[in-house]
Amino acid sequence: MTQIELRGVQKFFGAVQVIKDLNLKIADNEFIVLLGQSGCGKTTTLRAIAGLETIDEGDILIDGKPVQHLKAADRDIAMVFQSFSLYPHMSVYENIAFPLRATRKSKSEIDQEVRSVAKTLQILDLLAKKPSALSGGDMQRVAIGRALVRRPKAMLMDEPIGALDAKLREEMRAEIKRLHIKQGSTTIYVTHDQIEAMSLADRIVIMHEGVLQQVGTPDEVYSRPANLFVAQFVGSPVMNVADAAVAETASSVSVSVGGAASGFEFPRTLLSKLNGHAGGSLALGIRPEGVLIRRDAADGFMAVETQIVEPLGSFDIVDLKVGSKMLRARTKSGYISGPGEKVFARIDPTQAHFFDKASGKSLEVRL
Amino acid sequence: MAAVRTSSEITFNRVAIVAVLLVTIIFLAPIYWIASTAFKPRNLATTIPPTVVFQPEISPFVKLFTKRSQLRSPPSPEEYAAAPWWERVVFDGGEKIVRDGKGQVQWSGYPSRFLNSLIIAITSTVLAVGMGTFTAYGFSRFKVKGEADLLFFILSTRMLPPVVVAIPMFLMYRAVGLNDTHIGLIILYTAFNLSFSVWLMKGFMDEIPKEYEEAALVDGYTRMEAFFKIVLPEAATGIAATAVFCFITAWNEYAFALIMTNRRAQTAPPFIPSQVGSGLPDWTVIAAGTFLFLLPVAIFTFLLRNHLLRGMSFGAIRK
Repeated sequence: MTQIELRGVQKFFGAVQVIKDLNLKIADNEFIVLLGQSGCGKTTTLRAIAGLETIDEGDILIDGKPVQHLKAADRDIAMVFQSFSLYPHMSVYENIAFPLRATRKSKSEIDQEVRSVAKTLQILDLLAKKPSALSGGDMQRVAIGRALVRRPKAMLMDEPIGALDAKLREEMRAEIKRLHIKQGSTTIYVTHDQIEAMSLADRIVIMHEGVLQQVGTPDEVYSRPANLFVAQFVGSPVMNVADAAVAETASSVSVSVGGAASGFEFPRTLLSKLNGHAGGSLALGIRPEGVLIRRDAADGFMAVETQIVEPLGSFDIVDLKVGSKMLRARTKSGYISGPGEKVFARIDPTQAHFFDKASGKSLEVRL
Repeated sequence: MAAVRTSSEITFNRVAIVAVLLVTIIFLAPIYWIASTAFKPRNLATTIPPTVVFQPEISPFVKLFTKRSQLRSPPSPEEYAAAPWWERVVFDGGEKIVRDGKGQVQWSGYPSRFLNSLIIAITSTVLAVGMGTFTAYGFSRFKVKGEADLLFFILSTRMLPPVVVAIPMFLMYRAVGLNDTHIGLIILYTAFNLSFSVWLMKGFMDEIPKEYEEAALVDGYTRMEAFFKIVLPEAATGIAATAVFCFITAWNEYAFALIMTNRRAQTAPPFIPSQVGSGLPDWTVIAAGTFLFLLPVAIFTFLLRNHLLRGMSFGAIRK
């Protein structure tokens, strides 16, 4: 049972504030992913929780007790580093046994626990090897083994699979998830890779320039981004964002994008949901799968021209010119033959997001 | 796997190999000269042209370790027959080994000077490398106010030839009674090597990723434990390389040893040449002393050769 709480945490490096008033509650057994670009403060946050970095303001609580003045060794937390940080002069066995040797456990107890962790991670046959003789994936398994062996209150992982190649990364991702389900320990995982975040997290914490942007389940941050930063950071291909102008027509509401003469049709309820922001400066956000394309004209569809087609195997990404703006749409692969084709497009109102351009905040319009 | 080479490159390569061999021969010549002279009979040591082929003898080493005097008359056959083999080789050279009233062999000054050299060089190396390692770790891992200035100050102690301060040092040492003491030379050589040791070790420490210690800190160890269990083993290469250099400096030091010591704590370097002036110079004995003096550094360097090679190229290659 381990809860971790950050209360008003602030951290400065000289004059630069790297963590700005961070508040976060992490529940027992939860898998939390800190997601953000490099330099956003996510790793500093993790290191502060581990006790490798001091904080200038606020509290870090583990199970309700403030720990910000405790040394790393006294916080009972394990950490997996991006560089794995396996001690090169020790064998795999000694590496995994190392945290146990800091405690007053007997040799046979240590041996038993090292072997049981090695069994879980399927690295029993590697125990006698030196880290330099291991592959990247095995190094990672050993690093995780070293973190798990002490049965810490919480596991911290700093881009643990960032150094691996793409295929191995996918395998290890699944393995980490499996392990978390099996072992069930509170885990904080730092990454800049949104796919990793989406696939692993119970909840994702998105940070930008030291400020927490949104906390939510993968589905929440994907389908209900709190602001423009989250909207564009999460999801691949990236969400289309364009300046939008809302105009009332006889039967419906028209939203024109990129200064185009005609607009996309939206239901009338949009006006009331925009709640007075209709006249202000608005940005429309729409994911490529929310831009619907067909070859023949139909009611509510607007004529546009295709510019570039990117075949991605399971689907194609098609760039459409709308006014001065490019909208990217997702289609079945091979649906559009190539650039310069006249097609008809529409925006799915249920997938549209509206943002206040000045603050970047979502207007929480759900149609 | 060999890359493609043009014929001119191949020719250049061969010329370079010949040049390297020549330079190597020139560099090794003095060592050959000393080593061969150490095993020569006395009458062949100074021939012109030098004698290259000769029956090697052990007598220079026997003479090196013992006190001898000239024989006025050859020893009686009984005396010769009763003498052990090592005494006979001295008789053969027209000398006899000096014995005290109880018949005990009198040792020469060389063994004690050699021992002094060992004690002083090893102790000062351990101290310089030990303190250097701690200092370098501090500079490498913690924010030290005025770090650059302090490091420059440490380096600046090497910016003048040490001999410049020899006279003031001698006066200071005499005032506090440190001259001709082991501890005096140990302090001197440690101070001498410390700046070098700090700078070299700082380079090695910077190369050791911080994450290793951080992992140990999170694993439940204190910083001191992390230093001894993780950093020191990782720094072994650097420590070995630094130790070799410090040891060689302390072992070879001549000027201060000459000025600061005369008997009790005298090291081998000032002692060996001092033998030239005592009686007829016996070059074979001096060569034997020099040859033995070469050995510890050669052995020490040989034992640490793997560390040393890695140490020399450490940090040169980005991983």
